[in-house]
Amino acid sequence: MLKGPFAEAAMPSFVTRPQRQLDYRCFSSAIPIVIDNGGFNFRIGWAGESDPRVTFRNLVQRPRHRATAIVSNAGETVTIVGDHDPALMKYFDCTRSSYRSAFDNNVVYQFEIMEYVLDYGFERLGAEGPQVDHPILITECICNPVSSRSKMAELLFEIYGVPCIAFGVDAAFSYKMNQLHGICDEDGLAICSGFSTSHVVPFAKGEPVWEACCRTNVGGYHVTDNLKQLISLKYPYHSSSISWEKAEDLKLEHCHVASDYAAELQLFQKGAKEAEEKTRCWQLPWIPPTQEEMPSVEEIARKEAVKEKQGQRLRDMAAAKKSIRISELENELRVMEDLLLQLEDVDEDEAFSILSTTTFNSRQELESAIHKVTQSLRKAKGESCESEEKTDSSLAEKYPLIDVPDDILSPEQLKEKRKQVFLKTTSEGRLRAKQKRYEEELWREKQNQQDEEKRLENPELYLEELRAKYRELCEKVEQRKRLKTNGYHSNGNGNTSGGVGRGERLNAAQKERMRLLTTAAFDRGKGEDTFGARDEDWQLYKLISRDNDDENDSFEEDHAELTRIATRLQDIDPTFVAKSDMVPIQGITSELPWFRPRTIEDFQISIGIERFRCPEILFQPNMVGIDQAGLDEMAGVSLRRLTCADDDVKNKICSSILVLGGSSLFPGLDSRLEAGIRQIRPYLSPLRVVRALDPVLDAWRGAAAYAASLQFSTQTFSIQDYYDKGESGLKNYQIKYSL
Amino acid sequence: MEPDVVSSEMLLPPVLPFKKVQMADKYPKGQARGRHWKHLKQILQAENYQSYGPDEPNYLNIETPPSMYPSKKFCDITGFEAPYVDPRTNLRYANPEVFKRIRMLPNEHVQRYLSLRNAAVILR
Repeated sequence: MLKGPFAEAAMPSFVTRPQRQLDYRCFSSAIPIVIDNGGFNFRIGWAGESDPRVTFRNLVQRPRHRATAIVSNAGETVTIVGDHDPALMKYFDCTRSSYRSAFDNNVVYQFEIMEYVLDYGFERLGAEGPQVDHPILITECICNPVSSRSKMAELLFEIYGVPCIAFGVDAAFSYKMNQLHGICDEDGLAICSGFSTSHVVPFAKGEPVWEACCRTNVGGYHVTDNLKQLISLKYPYHSSSISWEKAEDLKLEHCHVASDYAAELQLFQKGAKEAEEKTRCWQLPWIPPTQEEMPSVEEIARKEAVKEKQGQRLRDMAAAKKSIRISELENELRVMEDLLLQLEDVDEDEAFSILSTTTFNSRQELESAIHKVTQSLRKAKGESCESEEKTDSSLAEKYPLIDVPDDILSPEQLKEKRKQVFLKTTSEGRLRAKQKRYEEELWREKQNQQDEEKRLENPELYLEELRAKYRELCEKVEQRKRLKTNGYHSNGNGNTSGGVGRGERLNAAQKERMRLLTTAAFDRGKGEDTFGARDEDWQLYKLISRDNDDENDSFEEDHAELTRIATRLQDIDPTFVAKSDMVPIQGITSELPWFRPRTIEDFQISIGIERFRCPEILFQPNMVGIDQAGLDEMAGVSLRRLTCADDDVKNKICSSILVLGGSSLFPGLDSRLEAGIRQIRPYLSPLRVVRALDPVLDAWRGAAAYAASLQFSTQTFSIQDYYDKGESGLKNYQIKYSL
Repeated sequence: MEPDVVSSEMLLPPVLPFKKVQMADKYPKGQARGRHWKHLKQILQAENYQSYGPDEPNYLNIETPPSMYPSKKFCDITGFEAPYVDPRTNLRYANPEVFKRIRMLPNEHVQRYLSLRNAAVILR
C-alpha cells in the first residue's frame, strides 16, 4: 500500500465525523427528535431546526482491535458506525468484517445493525438519562412491509423507551417542504431517486397518492457500483486503488446525464474532439522510478580493488594447488624411475619379486604408467601435450596394420588391427567434426557480415525487419507452446465457454499415448491377459514414453533462432526488451506493453464515456439487467395509475414535477427528464420540471418542520397504541402530510 | 486504547445510559445466535399481500413494470451501441476491434462484464 498521498486520496469528500452535541438537556421531552433514515446517510436532529445535528453514513463496521502495546482489550470486536478516517483504521483488523448496512433494497431488515446505527445517532445527539424521552419521527420507505415497521417500533419502544413515534416517507416530506417554499403546487409529481431505489409519487391536494406511485430498484448505489466495476475492468492493474468510496467520489464530481444519450455515444465513438475534451483524467499517485545513480569514482576504484584482491587470492590458491600437484607427480615419477632402474639390473625372477611388492604386474605396465605420469606432469606444468599433433602427423605410422590383409595376420595381430581401425575412425570422425565446426563458424561470420552490411545500408529498415521476424518467431513459439499445453491462460483457444471435451484437454503427445494404449488394450481382446508374454509387448512402453521428437527438433531450431535474434536486437536496439515467456495475456491491456518502464501515463485513469454511461442506468435500468422502466417512463406509469384523475388534473400534476433525492444531483438530469416526459405527454400540454431546493436535505427539513407543527402529536403512534393494537395497528397507521 | 482513536470518538461505547437494554445484555458474547433476520424476499413472502385489497398499495405492487420500449443493446466493453453478440462469450460488442479484445479477455473478466448486466453464468 502506498502511504502519504494515497492515504489522503482515500478519504472521500463526503466523509464526516459528527461531533457529539452538548445541548441535549436544553430540549424538553415534548420536542420530537427527527430521523431521516436514508439508505446512504442517517440524519438526526431536533424538530423545528433548519438542519440535522448529526449526519453519517448508514453503515456499520465491526472490526477487531489489533494488538498493540497500549491496548488492553486487543482482539475485541468493536463497533464503528458511519464513516471513519482511513488513517485510523490501522488499529483495526478488518479482514473478517466489511461494511454492513441494515438495508435490503430500501427496507430495513437487519435490526441489530439498525440498533448500532440508532445507538450512535442518539449518542452523537447527546442523549442522556435512562431513556430517550422524546417523540420520534423517523422516515421509512414507501409501502414499508409491516414486519419491518413493527420491528422498528419494537426497537424504539422497548430498547430506547421512546414515548411515541411517527413514520413518514422522505419523498413526501421533501415535496411538502418545497410546496411550503412555493417550488411546487399541491398537485404534482415527486420524482425521487435515492440510494437504492427510485420512486415517483403523485400528489393530489397536497397528499401523496400511494396507489399511483411506482418504484424502480435502481439508484445511486447502482450508478457507483457500475462505475467502479467498469473502471476496474478497464484498468485491472489498478483495481486495488479503485475503492467503492473513490468511485462514489468520482461519480459526485464527474458524472452527468446526457441530454441525448445516443448522440453523445456517437460523439465518443467517432473519437471527436469534443469527446476528448469531455474525458477527465484521474492521476493515481505515481513515484517515478529512481534513477540509478552512477557510483562515484572512489566507489568504482574501491570495488575494483576488492575484486582484484579476491581474484588475486583465487589465483594464489590455484598456483599453490598446482605446485603441490607438480611436486606430487614428480615424486611419483622419481619412485617409478628408480624402480625401472632396479628392474634393468636384475633378471626375470628377481624382477617379478620386486614387482609383486608394488602395484604393477609387469614391466610394460610400469612403463606405460611412467609415460602417463610424465604426460600429466607436462600438462600440469602448462606445457602443451604433443601427443595429438604426433598422431596427426604420423597417421600411417600409427596404424601399420590397417592396410594389411586379414589372412596374413596372426590372431593377436588381428585384434590389434581391429583396435587400430577403431582408433582411426574415431580420430577421423573427430577431425571431421572439427572441420565442420570451423566451416559453420565461417558461415555464421559471413552471415553476420551480411547482416552488418544490411544494417549499415538502412538501419531503420533492418531494425524493422528484425523486429518483425522476432515477433513472428515469438508468436510461432508461443503458438506451439500453447498447442502443447492447450493454452489454458486465454480463452483464445475457445475451451472456456464451450464444451470442454477430452480432445481439447489433451495435447498431441498425450493423445497419441492414449491411442496407443487403447489400441493395445483392444488388440488383446477379451481373452486372458497375455501382455508381457512376448518381448515385443514391451516395445509399447518405448512408444508411449516417446514424445513427438520430430516436432521437438523444429521447435528447438525456432527457439535457437529466436534467442539469436533477441540477442542481436538487444545489441542494436536500446529500446528492446525481450518478451518473457510467461507473460500472461491480460485482457484488453494486452496492447499495453508492461515490459517497458512504467510512466506517469500508466497511472492515469481516464473516464470519458463512463461519465454519462453510468448515470444513464437511471433512465435505462436494462443496462444493468434490471427489467424495469427508467425515471422518465416511471412518470408515465404513475400518471396512468392515477385512474381517478382526469386530463385537467394530470396537466396540473405535470406542471409541477419536483426532482429530488441524492441521485438527482447529476447535472442535466432535470432537462433530460423534461425531454423524456414530454414524449409521453400529449402535444403542447403543460410541463414543468423543477429541482428541489436541496434534493438531499429537504426530506429531513420537511420532516423537522412537520414534527414541529402543533398537530404532530395527533399523528403519532404511542407506546400505549403499540401494546393495545400491536402489529395490526401499525399496518393501518398512516400519517396525514398536510396539517 | 490508542489516544488518537479515543480522541476521534470513532468507536461506539459498549454501554449507553439511555438504553433500557444494553447490546451486551441483548446479545450475550460468545453465544451462537444463528440468523435472526429475514431477507427482504422472505419478509415480503411473510407479509401475506394476497389478503390485501387489489387497490391497496403494497411493497410489491408499486414496482414499475418493464419498459414499453425495446431495450437498446450496448457494447459491454466500450458502451457504444452494439450490433453484434459474441456467441462464445455472450458479450455484446460494437466493432471488430472490440471483438478482438473480447477474445483476449480472460474468462473471469468476461464473467464480470456479464454480471454487470446481470447476465453472468452462475454455477450452483
